[in-house]
Amino acid sequence: MAPQPNGTADAPIEVSSIPTVVGINFGNSYASIAVLTKEGSADCIANEDGERQIACAIAFQGEEMYIGNQAKHQLVKNSQNTITGFRNLLGKKFSEIPANKLSVKDSPGSTDAPAHYSVQHPAASHAATPRSEPIPAERVLTVSEVTSIFLKSLIQSAEAFLGKQVQGAVITAPSWFDQAQKDALEKAAVDAGITVLQLLEEAGAAAVATTTGPQPEELPLDRTQLLVDLGASALSLSLLSIREGLAYSLATREDHTVGGDAIDDKLIKFFAKEFTKKTKTPLVVSPATDAQDKRAEAKLRLAVEHTKRTLSASPGAATCSVESLKDGLDFTGTITRLRFDMEVRSIYDRIYSQVQELVADAGLDLYDVDEIVYVGGSASLPGLDEALAQGFAESVVTPFTSGTVVGGGVGDPTTILARGCALQAKILATLAEGTEEEREVKASFTHGHQYTRAKATSKTIGILFPEENAGEGSLDGQWIPVVLRETPVPARRTVAFDVDLGEGEGEKKVGFEVWEAKEGIKMEKVKPPKDEEEEEVPADDSEEPEEEEEDIEVKERTVEKENLLTSLVFTAKEGKKTQGRWTTKVEVQFVVRENGAVEISAREVGKSGKGEKTVVRVPTA
Amino acid sequence: MATVVELPVVPPPLPVGWTAPAGSGKPISSLVERRLLPAGPAYLAHVRRAVHNLTFEQHDK
Ligand SMILES: Nc1ncnc2c1ncn2[C@@H]1O[C@H](COP(=O)(O)OP(=O)(O)OP(=O)(O)O)[C@@H](O)[C@H]1O
Ligand SMILES: [Mg+2]
Repeated sequence: MAPQPNGTADAPIEVSSIPTVVGINFGNSYASIAVLTKEGSADCIANEDGERQIACAIAFQGEEMYIGNQAKHQLVKNSQNTITGFRNLLGKKFSEIPANKLSVKDSPGSTDAPAHYSVQHPAASHAATPRSEPIPAERVLTVSEVTSIFLKSLIQSAEAFLGKQVQGAVITAPSWFDQAQKDALEKAAVDAGITVLQLLEEAGAAAVATTTGPQPEELPLDRTQLLVDLGASALSLSLLSIREGLAYSLATREDHTVGGDAIDDKLIKFFAKEFTKKTKTPLVVSPATDAQDKRAEAKLRLAVEHTKRTLSASPGAATCSVESLKDGLDFTGTITRLRFDMEVRSIYDRIYSQVQELVADAGLDLYDVDEIVYVGGSASLPGLDEALAQGFAESVVTPFTSGTVVGGGVGDPTTILARGCALQAKILATLAEGTEEEREVKASFTHGHQYTRAKATSKTIGILFPEENAGEGSLDGQWIPVVLRETPVPARRTVAFDVDLGEGEGEKKVGFEVWEAKEGIKMEKVKPPKDEEEEEVPADDSEEPEEEEEDIEVKERTVEKENLLTSLVFTAKEGKKTQGRWTTKVEVQFVVRENGAVEISAREVGKSGKGEKTVVRVPTA
Repeated sequence: MATVVELPVVPPPLPVGWTAPAGSGKPISSLVERRLLPAGPAYLAHVRRAVHNLTFEQHDK
């Protein structure tokens, strides 16, 4: 191909080992783009305006079209030509759109027509247009067209960054999208010239991002993960079973009454009050009725965006500044984290109670949760983590406790979905399509495919090393869970550890029982440790009447033996003697088949390598 | 390859006179139906084994 003046038009098919694919998190309020790095991880990139969180907004002003955060700013003076909140309207008819979505213009025809907008957007006049010929200014755009324009601009930003044509994209879709909405989203992307590798459920994108690459050491490969997605308009919760990277939802929940918008409502009320206090000028917002107040509210809404981000990023006070907020008066106010957390306390409380219900829906307890993952802009607020964490086990891992939120780390809630999509795109881009089986593998990534249906265990199975006088509550021995409940089958798990063989000489045996266990949570009320309390609360006790000390609830995970499945014993040949005691290293493997049959094998791992396997089986029903 | 999880436990020696008990003869509790998230390398491996009808060992190769 002859070189073209402005670079090449076609991207070479395989330039390097890293495919030119991107991940797109397409929210209702913000979108973000991630690309693959040389190291194999994914990174969020900034668009031409330096924004990583790109507002899902398109504005028309004269002949110009603005996209992203610039467009969002047109909401103050040019709101009738500014389109926002279009993602949630994809695939909907007029009749299905709530009346308060005023930005959607009324349909000229039937209410069954796809939703559309009408804006003032005169076509650019290239040649001098004779005055007598009016330029048509009204432009009608369907939700799908608006989405296409927007997605295309995201791809263009990625291409500008990569210097190459994007070959494919994985795009997020909310889990509550029905088929019509997914179809509409896919069509809008295809119309924008995008090769859609997959529409990925948000929880799936988060699962990929959080199970790929280095993870906190204390997190097991098999774990229960709570996903808290707090966006602008909604809270979306998922409790995931993650088993060596294989993930599914145990329960999900949506709440459209909390989110960044609700936080904004509290914050702008707070600042409006401040404004009135300082200037003696009345200002009533959220809701505002007076036209001037409405405009002031729109200005405040834009301004608190910065305030919230400052609050998330640093522990100091954050400011909110608006030029000419009302009656030509400028406003600058500040809020501390402490005050902010007080203002939004009811929102945190609401989220906490939703989390409790979610976990209860799954038949679990907060103490069963190993990890909390935060997704969405509003989940960047550290106060939220503080408010939630108190109900969980102390060992729960959150990105705030691991310190991975700061500085755009792997726990950054605003980039997780896009990064997960990019990592997923990498997997899909490398799939072959030569044979029928390969095509079937590829097809399994489409929504609702038969391979997404799986069976999973309902009880934990593990091994018990019997011990005399093991003591109360110890299950009469040492319990090692191997295949946890909620593990998709077929499953294979291998554990290795040293076994104590005692002091004696002569033949030594390794033996254990295989049990199915019943797990639960025990709650005990205990008196608070007295001495410490007194140390912590000094002198001023005496001033207040002594409060009756409340019992504190102490929770603990419990395990009971339920079903003895089988047992296994073999002679140890590779024992080593250290400090008078014999030990040997043992590797135990469980394979649970799709029909529920289990094969348990054990062998020694000694100097001479891996020993002979001893195998026992638990048949299926 | 199978992931081997090294555990920091050292189970005690067998009690004197312990003999391996027979199991209850019952299978494990009924499996439950779930819907996997079609995402990540683990899902790909899961589907590959199913489509090509491979055991874990065969898939390791
Ligand atoms: N660092 C931050 N701290 C606090 N809030 C933030 C931060 N960054 C963004 N937000 C807020 O997060 C919200 C946007 O979150 P997100 O991008 O997850 O929403 P979305 O997925 O587009 O929308 P939704 O999930 O409601 O449909 C906005 O309210 C924004 O003000
Ligand atoms: Mg969202």
